[in-house]
Amino acid sequence: MKHLVLALSVFPAALSAEQTRSLDAHMHGAGTLGIAFSGTEFSLSLEAPGADIVGFEHAALSAEDRDLVQAAISDLAKPLSLFVVPNEAGCTVKSANVALAMAQIGKHEAGGDHSDEATEGHAHSEDQETRHSEFHAEYLITCQNIDAIDSIRFDYFERFPNSQELDVQVVSPKGARAYEVERSAADLDLRGMF
Amino acid sequence: MTLFRLAFLSLKSRGMTVGLTILAIALSVVLFLGVEKLRTGARASFTDTISDTDLIMGARSGSVQLLLYSVFRIGNATNNVTWESFQDIASRPEVSWAVPISLGDSHRQFRVMGTTPEYFERYSYRGGRRLDFQQGRVMSDLFDAVVGADVAEQLGYKVGDPIIVAHGLASFTEHEDTPFRISGVLEKTGTPVDRTVVVSLEAIEAIHVDWQSGAQRPGAPTSADRLREMDLQPAAITAAMLGVESPLQIFTVQRAINEYPEEPLLAVLPGVALQELWGIVGIAETALVGVSAMVVVTALIGMSAMILSGLNARRREMAILRAMGAGPRAVVALLMIEAILMGAIGSATGVVLLYLGLIAVQPWLDYTYGLYLPITALTAQEGLLLIAVVAASALVSLLPAIRAYRMSLADGMMVKM
Repeated sequence: MKHLVLALSVFPAALSAEQTRSLDAHMHGAGTLGIAFSGTEFSLSLEAPGADIVGFEHAALSAEDRDLVQAAISDLAKPLSLFVVPNEAGCTVKSANVALAMAQIGKHEAGGDHSDEATEGHAHSEDQETRHSEFHAEYLITCQNIDAIDSIRFDYFERFPNSQELDVQVVSPKGARAYEVERSAADLDLRGMF
Repeated sequence: MTLFRLAFLSLKSRGMTVGLTILAIALSVVLFLGVEKLRTGARASFTDTISDTDLIMGARSGSVQLLLYSVFRIGNATNNVTWESFQDIASRPEVSWAVPISLGDSHRQFRVMGTTPEYFERYSYRGGRRLDFQQGRVMSDLFDAVVGADVAEQLGYKVGDPIIVAHGLASFTEHEDTPFRISGVLEKTGTPVDRTVVVSLEAIEAIHVDWQSGAQRPGAPTSADRLREMDLQPAAITAAMLGVESPLQIFTVQRAINEYPEEPLLAVLPGVALQELWGIVGIAETALVGVSAMVVVTALIGMSAMILSGLNARRREMAILRAMGAGPRAVVALLMIEAILMGAIGSATGVVLLYLGLIAVQPWLDYTYGLYLPITALTAQEGLLLIAVVAASALVSLLPAIRAYRMSLADGMMVKM
């Protein structure tokens, strides 16, 4: 009987689906950062859950929330104070793009299943919207002496107290490597990548 | 200095036992360093399977899985990538080149891969080496195939031979109506390419023209000439190798692919996926190092036992030394110097044996297993390991040395009748 009910509730939804539905794995506390070195420049590509950056993921409706988002975006626009490279490298930001992306899955019907929320590890009790927000940022940085970058200090964790870790992928002429930088060990050792 | 000479001469006088002990140490050192060389060599060989490809794109699954089926031809894809999506990604301004690959058919025990001729220009391994042809050249006709070195060797193929491609992996249904001709044989690379039959992407489509739902369509098969005239644009591919215009854009392209709205796709950086895969394999590696380290320890304990058992036989020697004015400390020093000498000679012999062995097996390993072991000088870490072996010899000799010290205080001086 249980199976039948399940089948009935799934089928109409499947038949009426007109658009593709997909939702990224979204884990609070963890973001991703890509760093690519080439010539005298490097690019940074950051993706972090709204919960890490501003502490909430619903649309910023109150003035207070909007201020938080504004402050976060303006701080995110200064990548070199979040990801600190040695002074000797003489780096300056060439471009910075920060965006707040809302991920939303369809409309929520009564009794619909919440399986798409399973990945996030907590249930919304009051907030019934299946909504996640993510901050996306892309930076291009140019340096006078890029070889001096032997490590990057992640002050990012200090600025955003809800963030716990960043999965970092680094690409350099020497190849590609993955690292995990955590709040407790917020330094990325890049020796061996040049 | 006298002690050193004494120790050396004493060892020399017991040539057979000492020789065997040194041999045991030498062999354990060979094993230990050999495992180390093999480990780093295997890792490098493995990492060298693919280079100069910025991203690998496939259906959304796991990064390791995508790497395994697209590069190592292990396992199968969960899904295909539609041709439309591939075209869409390939035409992005950041993408400088894109080589599609299509897997799923086989020839005997070897995988058949459909791709474009650009594959031979783009695929590189071992730090930028390109694929070379032993004989023949890239396929030019629809039914041309290029085979890897292992395929050619094991099946005795040469340019011009016909081959039949089987549908799926088990060759229960062969595409007998569409025979291929070998247009080229690749040089040995030590990568999975050696075990691959490469055909054009259109050829993969062509051999499936007369097949529906996995079974051959009744009626006369479409002739080869008719197939050549057909539009054989594939509907889907298995995966694609991508290169970007500038490394700075790798992550932009990766994100665009991972968030591609029309189809669930996944793009991975080959180096990162290899690292992830090696992290899984790495446990066995650690176990191997542990076992070989235990062998060194065993050899050293053997040496300690040898010195200890020799003590009784050398009572007289010790007594004479004492009578000649050597203090008990000198006796301890003598035994320790003997052990250090054995450890050092054993290690040195081990290193010599290791390099002789490496020179002997290197070509064979490269040819048979595609495992290239570069013959390089000992690394600082390996040097430290050798010093550790010598230091450990001194340490394990403490037990017999202390015993000899105690014995020599009284033993041999007293008259025992």
